[in-house]
Amino acid sequence: MDALPVPLAAYQILAAVLFTIGVVGVLVRRSALIIFMSIELMLNAVNLSFVAFSRQHASMDGHIFVFFVMAVAAAEVAIGLAILVAIFRNKETANVDDVHLLKG
Amino acid sequence: MALEPILFAFFALTAIACALGVVFHRNPVHCALLLVGVLLSLSGLFILLNAQFIAALQVIVYAGAIMVLFLFVLMLLNLRGDGRVLSPGATKGFGFLFGVLVLVELLWTALSPNGGEGGGLPAAPALPPDFGSPAAIGRILYTTWLYPFEITSILLLVAVIGAVVLAKRKFA
Repeated sequence: MDALPVPLAAYQILAAVLFTIGVVGVLVRRSALIIFMSIELMLNAVNLSFVAFSRQHASMDGHIFVFFVMAVAAAEVAIGLAILVAIFRNKETANVDDVHLLKG
Repeated sequence: MALEPILFAFFALTAIACALGVVFHRNPVHCALLLVGVLLSLSGLFILLNAQFIAALQVIVYAGAIMVLFLFVLMLLNLRGDGRVLSPGATKGFGFLFGVLVLVELLWTALSPNGGEGGGLPAAPALPPDFGSPAAIGRILYTTWLYPFEITSILLLVAVIGAVVLAKRKFA
């Protein structure tokens, strides 16, 4: 097989940019829900990287890893949103700045 | 004119624009819908990379199941205009600074050939004809990766039980 139609570096740069946007989202947003969405963004950037390297090396192990990442993401979202609902019931807020019970 | 670079540029720009929208849009419902846009663009990129089964999973599991869960909780909580969207002053500044540092580091790693050791990537080997098909993925998933696959089922079971317990219990 010839080289990839689009070079691997292009996919790496795109994955890096998407991951960075996710990092910034986690750090600057106040709503816990948006923070979860930013984490999904980071997981997806990593998935893109896995699939691109998988194609480059013509090995499907990267696809299997993406499969597992999706399963972990589903579990994480289910638990995380349940925690969010529990916090909202207690404190009537979903802002991470307002949940500071551990602060001295 | 090859089609792949055009499609790559289209999907990549859509993904980046939607991702910026997810982080900076005020309305959480719009953020969730823009995240669906990111997920669908990535699914298109997966097809460009000969990962048809993963692209289908991306649409069904991510854009279908996970985003429905997000929107459901969004409607349930009914988060409405509480003024500022971003963290105050110093936290926000450090967030952007750290983001720039992460981007520089990732690009440095991605663009240095062979992880900085020189020599560049080896040439791409020939793709098997069934690369990325459900049959081929199933074959290695149920042989080489059988134990991780079974452990995933336990993980999902724990997640289901945990979500039900957390959502039902009345905390004092």
